[in-house]
Amino acid sequence: MKFQIPIGPQHPALKEPISLRMTVEGEVIRDADLRLGYNHRGIEKLAEERTYLQNIYLTERICGICSHSHTTCFVQGVEALLEVVAPRRGQFLRYLVAELERVHSHLLWLGVAGHEAGFDSFFMYTWRDREVVMDILEMISGNRVHYAINTLGGVRRDIDEALRTKILDSLGILRARTDYYFKLGANEPSFVGRLAGVGRLSKEDALALCAVGPTARASGVAHDVRRDDPYGIYGEIPFEVCTADSCDVLGRTVVRIKELGQSYNIIEYLLRNLPDGPVAVKAPRRAKPGEVVSRYEAPRGENIHYIKANGSDKPERLKVRAPTLANYAATLAMLKNGFIADIPLIFAAIDPCICCAERTVELIDGRSGRPSQVRWSELRRMAARRAGRVSKKRNMEWPL
Amino acid sequence: MRIAGFVPELLRHLFKKPATVDYPFRKLEVPKDFRGTPFLHPETCIVCRACERDCPAEAIEIVEVNAAEKRFKMTIHNDRCVHCAQCVDSCPTDAMEMDDKFEISAFSRWDLKEEWEYVRAVVKPKPAAPAPQAAPAAPVSPSPVKPSESET
Amino acid sequence: MAALKTLLYVFVYPGLVFMFVYSTFCEWFDRKVYARLQNRMGPTHTGRWGLLQPVADFFKLMAKEDIVPEKADKTMFTLLPIFGLAVVATAMLLLPVWHFNPAAGGFNSFSGDIIVLLYLLSLPTIIFFLAAWSSTNVFSTVGGTRVLTMFFGYEVPLFLAVLSPALLAGSWRLAEIARFFQAKPVLLLVNLPGFIIAVICVQAKLERTPFDIPHAETEIVGGTFTEFSGKKLAFFRLMTDVEMVVSSGLLATVFLGGFPGGLVLGFLRFIVKTLFVIFLLSLLRAATSRIRVDQVVSFAWGYLAPLAVVQLFFVILLKGFVL
Repeated sequence: MKFQIPIGPQHPALKEPISLRMTVEGEVIRDADLRLGYNHRGIEKLAEERTYLQNIYLTERICGICSHSHTTCFVQGVEALLEVVAPRRGQFLRYLVAELERVHSHLLWLGVAGHEAGFDSFFMYTWRDREVVMDILEMISGNRVHYAINTLGGVRRDIDEALRTKILDSLGILRARTDYYFKLGANEPSFVGRLAGVGRLSKEDALALCAVGPTARASGVAHDVRRDDPYGIYGEIPFEVCTADSCDVLGRTVVRIKELGQSYNIIEYLLRNLPDGPVAVKAPRRAKPGEVVSRYEAPRGENIHYIKANGSDKPERLKVRAPTLANYAATLAMLKNGFIADIPLIFAAIDPCICCAERTVELIDGRSGRPSQVRWSELRRMAARRAGRVSKKRNMEWPL
Repeated sequence: MRIAGFVPELLRHLFKKPATVDYPFRKLEVPKDFRGTPFLHPETCIVCRACERDCPAEAIEIVEVNAAEKRFKMTIHNDRCVHCAQCVDSCPTDAMEMDDKFEISAFSRWDLKEEWEYVRAVVKPKPAAPAPQAAPAAPVSPSPVKPSESET
Repeated sequence: MAALKTLLYVFVYPGLVFMFVYSTFCEWFDRKVYARLQNRMGPTHTGRWGLLQPVADFFKLMAKEDIVPEKADKTMFTLLPIFGLAVVATAMLLLPVWHFNPAAGGFNSFSGDIIVLLYLLSLPTIIFFLAAWSSTNVFSTVGGTRVLTMFFGYEVPLFLAVLSPALLAGSWRLAEIARFFQAKPVLLLVNLPGFIIAVICVQAKLERTPFDIPHAETEIVGGTFTEFSGKKLAFFRLMTDVEMVVSSGLLATVFLGGFPGGLVLGFLRFIVKTLFVIFLLSLLRAATSRIRVDQVVSFAWGYLAPLAVVQLFFVILLKGFVL
């Protein structure tokens, strides 16, 4: 007897709204469907009305956990358009924060995986150790999330010797705890019983469905933008791309824990070889007309920003392709023929950052229920007509 | 033993101090350079309006009160501020500064706005940062925020 | 005078007030131990050390709006929480701690009362299933089927494990089983595997991690309890707490030697032994993660039931050839 279970838009397993409809038979899922759009904020349109400098803070707020990924990807692209190169010390600091963000994101994910599986003690322990990283980030940048450390032409803040030694010392604690979590996660029988064999995605499927990030690397696909297309200073930093062969959620856990180890090595390398010099150069405000595609390896996978400039100080178009958007097709393939009990784990295993991925919207006629398609130019005309009616005063009332 | 492998670690924690900070009964310490709320030092402001231009949330508003006396009034809308500290970076005379207040909730957004009324100072701005590798920084005239034209 | 005494027994001790106070105290103890094992604080500010937190939760739920879905069965909805609470309260009467005169029998201590207690403890599972079925919500239906599937797994090992001390003591009466082990404490060690099996099965009966599958929050929202709110949910939660006290009381009686010593000493022993069992249950809850429902059944029939049978066999041999 088949019936439909709705997971979302409101569900305790999800941290953000998304609508998954599963058709189940007993405890086995036969079919799955996905609906996006609950978190759409119109960021790409907003970006066209703000200068490049203001857009750094806008792109940062696409997501809270991978905020630095979005601003770095954006700033890399804009620096290419403005033809400035950030100084070496600035680049080292920029990617130091990037790797620290990767550490905090993976520790967060370990906790969330534990919580979805019902292993609350693991959740509490990993998040307690994540506080070490959050405190370091607060000392570097002044805030625990939304670090806002990037600026056009480098970074905004510098670290002194005391902070540098403090970070190196904390790495020791983090390494010891990560080794413990590896032993625990791989050996606790009830936890491994939930993770092993769940959410299978073969290597061919991962390549055909364009999976990115740890989701693909756990199926043996060794794609990592830091190695395939090195941006910034990654060409000179030694690190390994972590893969696993088990193609299931346990493989994704193992890949993320191994990436934690690699990130610790990268952070240590960056701190020990930190060059002297300025941290930023003055960048012009206007960009020459052109377009740029900027790629970045966010904790969840490959993040792509496309920026088109038209000679003014505001971008003509910004397009963001977040990694979770690329992983949705693979998720639907993983969900078929799984158990209901595995839905939260399979969905959590791609590390969903749903607000990153809110880009496409399907228009459905309210009365007939039929989907319709509207051209991009028609949408822009409708939006401009509506915006023309709004008051242009600088001190606009912002209604609650 | 594998099955009970986690238990010794758990039992050890019974005797450790909890990792929780008993906020709000115990105050949280913030590090220096924490980005709290912005505030103005009126005696150094030269009303260049760089902060007003660069604020991503349109949270700073400078209004001329009296042209003859060169009196200006700055309003910082703390309900719109995103605490990015770009105003601090853009200010050439160090007139904007971030304090470390983060417990700023109020019952109405109108309570969160702060105002300063002052006379424009005559202060030399700091020398510009080292020259960039590309074209020199061109001063940008303030352009009002307008909706983008439609492009076919 | 006798009427006054009966009213005192029914309402104060060991009646409703004591049941309420002690079960909320046990919930506080469980939450505090669980939190300390995870390096957190647990309830802290309601009352000294957070002791009043479960009481506050209960009264908060009583004050909330009570919503009954349109298609649900209203009679069942209203009756089931009350019936459940009545069942576990009756089960609490059968624990051999209220006897101020242990030798005498009575309406709450008779031969076969261990079977009645176990039966009364299986009724809550059926009540959960009926509550889920009458909710007509997709999540509740899945929760209800999971409750029954788990029931097929853990009930048999629990009965077998609790049976072994009864067999060793040669009696079906809880007070006599306790007295037998008080006389010969060494024999408690014989039932150690049975104790471990019984703790695991009681964890499954109480639907706590690793067996909190029927109301798994991250999978099926609330499972059985999705549609219950307000007073009905308050009663269900109180019922779960009292069930925890009764189950740990049962385990303390047959495996840990009961509560001798009359009014005051027996009462103190009751508190100490039940808190010890609840500590073990909290430790199990903190140390494991939730398993799938098919894994519960295969684990129960693959490991627990054979082990319980082996324990029973060993007890029979011991009784036959040694005692």
